[in-house]
Amino acid sequence: MNTDPFTQEIIGDTLRASAEEMFLTLVRTSQSPIIYEVLDCACGLTSPAGDLVAEAEGIPGFIGCLSFGVRSFLGKFGEDEMRPGDVFVTNDPYEGGGTHLSDVTLIMPILFDGQVVAYAANKAHWTELGGMAAGSWTTDSTEIFQEGLQFPAIQLYREGKPIVALMDLIEANVRLPSMTLGDIFAGVASLRAGERGVTGICRKHGISALRAAMGTVLDRGQKYAWMRLKELPSGTYTAEDWIDDDGIGDEPMRVCVAVTIDGEGFTADFHGSAPQAVGPINTTRIGLEVSCREIFKAIVAPHYPNNEGIFRPLRVACPDGTLFTAQRPAPVSTYWETGAYVSDLIWQALYPVARNRLPVGHSLSICGTIVSGVDEERGQFVLVEPQAGGWGATVDRDGESGLVVAGDGETYIMPAEVCEQRYPILVEQFKFNTESAGVGRFRGGFGLVRDYRVLCRQAELTATFGRHRFLPWGADGGGNGSANTIEVYPVGSDSPAIRQGKVARYPLRRGDKVRLITGVGGGYGDPLTRAPQLVRADLRDGFIDARDARHRYGVAVDPDTLTIDETATGRLRQEKRGARPESENEGRVGGDDED
Amino acid sequence: MRVASDIGGTFTDLVYLDEASGELGVAKASTTPANFAEGVIETFHKADLNVPDTDFFVHGSTVIINALTERKGVKTALITTKGFRDVLEITRANRPDLYNMYYTKPKPFVPRYLRLEVQERLNYKGEVLDPLNEEDVAKAVEFCKKEGVEAIAVCFLHSYADPSHEIRCGEIIRELAPEIPVTVSHEITQEWREYERTNTVVLNSYVLPIAQFYLDNLENNLSGLGMDKVYHIMQSNGGTVTFDMGKRAPINTVESGPVAGVIGAAVIGKLIGEPNVISFDVGGTTAKTSLVENGNPRITTEYKIEWRRDYAGYPILAPTIDIVEIGAGGGSIAWVDNAGALKVGPVSAGAEPGPACYDIGGDKPTVTDANVLAGRINPEYFLGGEIPLSVENARKAMQPIGDSFGISVEEAAMGVIRLADANMVNALKLVSVRRGYDPREFVLIAFGGGGAMHAGALARELRVKKVLIPNEPAVFSAWGMLMTDLRQDFIRTTIRRADQTEPSALTGIFAEMEANAMQNLEEQHVSEDRVMFQRYADMRYMGQEHTVKVPIPGGQITAEQMPEINERFHQLHEQSYTFRLDTLIQFVNYHLTAFGVVEKPELKKLNGKQGNLEVAKKGQRSVNFDELGFHSCPIYERSLLPVGVSMQGPLVIEEPAATTVVFPDQTVTRDDYGFLHIEMTD
Repeated sequence: MNTDPFTQEIIGDTLRASAEEMFLTLVRTSQSPIIYEVLDCACGLTSPAGDLVAEAEGIPGFIGCLSFGVRSFLGKFGEDEMRPGDVFVTNDPYEGGGTHLSDVTLIMPILFDGQVVAYAANKAHWTELGGMAAGSWTTDSTEIFQEGLQFPAIQLYREGKPIVALMDLIEANVRLPSMTLGDIFAGVASLRAGERGVTGICRKHGISALRAAMGTVLDRGQKYAWMRLKELPSGTYTAEDWIDDDGIGDEPMRVCVAVTIDGEGFTADFHGSAPQAVGPINTTRIGLEVSCREIFKAIVAPHYPNNEGIFRPLRVACPDGTLFTAQRPAPVSTYWETGAYVSDLIWQALYPVARNRLPVGHSLSICGTIVSGVDEERGQFVLVEPQAGGWGATVDRDGESGLVVAGDGETYIMPAEVCEQRYPILVEQFKFNTESAGVGRFRGGFGLVRDYRVLCRQAELTATFGRHRFLPWGADGGGNGSANTIEVYPVGSDSPAIRQGKVARYPLRRGDKVRLITGVGGGYGDPLTRAPQLVRADLRDGFIDARDARHRYGVAVDPDTLTIDETATGRLRQEKRGARPESENEGRVGGDDED
Repeated sequence: MRVASDIGGTFTDLVYLDEASGELGVAKASTTPANFAEGVIETFHKADLNVPDTDFFVHGSTVIINALTERKGVKTALITTKGFRDVLEITRANRPDLYNMYYTKPKPFVPRYLRLEVQERLNYKGEVLDPLNEEDVAKAVEFCKKEGVEAIAVCFLHSYADPSHEIRCGEIIRELAPEIPVTVSHEITQEWREYERTNTVVLNSYVLPIAQFYLDNLENNLSGLGMDKVYHIMQSNGGTVTFDMGKRAPINTVESGPVAGVIGAAVIGKLIGEPNVISFDVGGTTAKTSLVENGNPRITTEYKIEWRRDYAGYPILAPTIDIVEIGAGGGSIAWVDNAGALKVGPVSAGAEPGPACYDIGGDKPTVTDANVLAGRINPEYFLGGEIPLSVENARKAMQPIGDSFGISVEEAAMGVIRLADANMVNALKLVSVRRGYDPREFVLIAFGGGGAMHAGALARELRVKKVLIPNEPAVFSAWGMLMTDLRQDFIRTTIRRADQTEPSALTGIFAEMEANAMQNLEEQHVSEDRVMFQRYADMRYMGQEHTVKVPIPGGQITAEQMPEINERFHQLHEQSYTFRLDTLIQFVNYHLTAFGVVEKPELKKLNGKQGNLEVAKKGQRSVNFDELGFHSCPIYERSLLPVGVSMQGPLVIEEPAATTVVFPDQTVTRDDYGFLHIEMTD
């Protein structure tokens, strides 16, 4: 038996390749656009103990979540009950799933020589799982029972065959049964790909080599994370922020973190955050853990392959019953808004010591959007999509424009041509949101504006655009970014009937226009130190106008000839510096135009 | 005489085949970036060819891809539908480097101020919602002139459904600014997805004047030597087009180099009666592999330049032979990462400073160094002995790897080889097993400098039917160019349900595409009797996104054939994805491949009496066969081996630019053409 370090390395690589193959299979065969277009899914392999050893994920929001799913299922089923070809399903947010009901985890025990050697698992956002709203999430549910079907870790396939009664039950309880059942088949095909990979390893190298390699993978991950963590100065770092509202009420909610880096590891403590809400923006303890893993990974090991080992130094503390640790039967269907705040809080807290690893604040909210209805030609339709927004500036360059947020990853926004073919919608424009915000030595990236004209008799809009009231943060003199906003223009009207951050099942008629606006990212550094050539290029490209150049950046540039008047620029900048309080000229943090 | 010329980064290669004598010749000269034609002419001089005897000239080059990646194209403007000028910069907004919050998106090739909008709009059916505002076009052209724009790209929403607005816009631009070359999107691709299509047409415009200048210059130079009307350029789809066509759509020639090896492998497969092959090309920096089923290479339209796992790259909707490339070549450097794991590649020592054993400055351990230490490469016979290799340097470079694991240099070298092999196996699986193909039904054709050295080990793991090492494996890609036909791919998106599609409608679409293709090939001097069509449809289950490419029968499609097409789709879907569904099926794209079949030289068989085993045996040395251990085994000179000889491993066969390693459990045979066949001994 060959278990030298190279063989272990090769087995580790093969496990990763198998996880990727699972991912490819799932994405290629799925029928939910949110899986195959948005890649709202993750696939991976765990040890028999449920430790993640290889993962391929489409979005960071799912990082490391599979271990929680597998472990919850291990608490319920014994290895002796498992047969090759068995598949189990869970979407319990409080125990196994960790997110919301739409994210369904499928688990397959992988057996070799009669014993369980690993688990293949995947988790994917199924477009339809029933509940009070089409698309199975909304911004105004008040208990989990309204949010769709719950699978509390139950068997779905027995020895390769679907359990018909369960399939029939699912079919009867969802709005788009062929899509939902298609997602099951795709998920199972993906698990089988993982099973092929692992049994191949066992055949070639043997079970003990596989076990040894899994141990090495985890130990190496841990070692690596510790090494990178030690590069950050020890200490306690804090941040607080506000969440707009819970979708039901109008009250902002305070959230906060204290991050301690010391010899014990990396501890994120959320004591003092708001209690769980009536509306569905709650997340559960597992959702909280996963969001911490996401930013922890970004800070200490962005390019290291995901496995349980790298998360060993991470500890999370939070009392029960907060917004981050909601208890059954609290609604959780838009949990990701709050999950995003978890990682943004840690991000803000550590920014002063991790400037070279992180930009300033970005539009943050996935800006989840559902347009649903019945079309004369196409029948029932449900469009579910995220939007992309503006990113924060870094210490050495402008923020990125029109990029999916940190919780999304290899997520593709839908082409207008595909959207119009598939839904009764005309995309009237798709362009940068160039409103004046996020100024700085390096400015925030631009958000996007996307207009949907409704072409069917009636439809509904549900959307959750967080950071509508509390804006992306700037730093060191850079301005805050701008708001994520939903607008609806009734047919024939030039002024919006609504302009808000969350909307639930808002009725739309033929000819109404929905405008989806994502925010500009935060700026970095004093805008009066921005290189005049960069201001000129922004003016040339129509990202700013001459007024902004003058008033925001103190640069005098002729909009027609694009010539910079250097003398006037020097004078302008001096005047502007003179006009503001002394303290502002010495490294302000945030605080530009918070109106 | 057929001549292939391949301009690479360092060298310009010439390979020619004299059909009368069956003689194959090779010449090499330095690449001359200031004027590429010089290097090509130099190879003709070196080979001492009579240029007017050339019946068919095929050219492949990295000029276009380099102009793109080095950003050496021209100042380009984009004219597009009102409300959508930012599409090119928004891209698909994806963030493939998931946890790197410092990720930077690809920058557009046209800055915002040169992206101009005009009033016009179609819906997805191609119906006009808003007519083309010709004044807007005139204003845009005026602006381009003022800005000194050197090329214009046009892409309107839904132009794949009806190109009339684009056609009219192109006419106006040509009328008002005849000096500025224009590309309109539907002439390059008629596939949907506006960002991908816009980017494709923009990149085409960006390099069009470069391609024009360079191909004109090459043609003028060769015409001066007496070459006449036979200029062809390799395209990414594995076929050729005339220079005239290549100048209009240079974006189709981006991968003109690497695909030729795949074509060569397909040709050899047909020759030996094995139409299912996997091509495997190991160079200095990368290994490339591609699958050929039934003689047809797999084509993808999801090609991207500069793409990496952690970088979105730029999509090009040009049909491209689907090649999987990994950073594991002879020069790939082995290293130990921070957490103590051994890694190979993707950084390569390249030609300079080169592997440590070259002794020209490299001090990092590479795969080549490992092969020297394992006894697989003969240090005295590298490139026929041109470069003596330093075993000492290889040992010195490998020492730190051994030290960090507490093992010997030999064990470390074997570890490096094993890891490189594992990476290669994963790439080979990606093109075969993971797409539902059984490697046991395929022959692995290995070439490039390192293909023959690694193929034996890979075959043991993959269980392919057998391995074949062609003659002159190091210049096999250029040989492949000699074997190409003219080829054009036409793809058009029109989505419809299969159960609502009349056979006559399907026939109509293909007939129209075939008429276009025929006209196109006639322009390239191909007579009708030499034209061959292959029809495909990209089909999917309704509700799915990804499609499966299904062959469609030629001629008039009958009502009886429709269920056969559907069944074929179900089968192919099951092959790729392990399941079939009982749901409605849709047609998405119609894909026509038009070949202008060129007469190809017949490969000459070797004289059966040639060669002698005793003479061919040049020595004996100890070689590491991994888990089968070290063996003292015979070394043979390939060119001296008798035809038809069959030998049991372990053994090594050397030739000046390649080494074939045959494992103890393998048998090697040299066939009538001189090819080496390696099979597992039962």
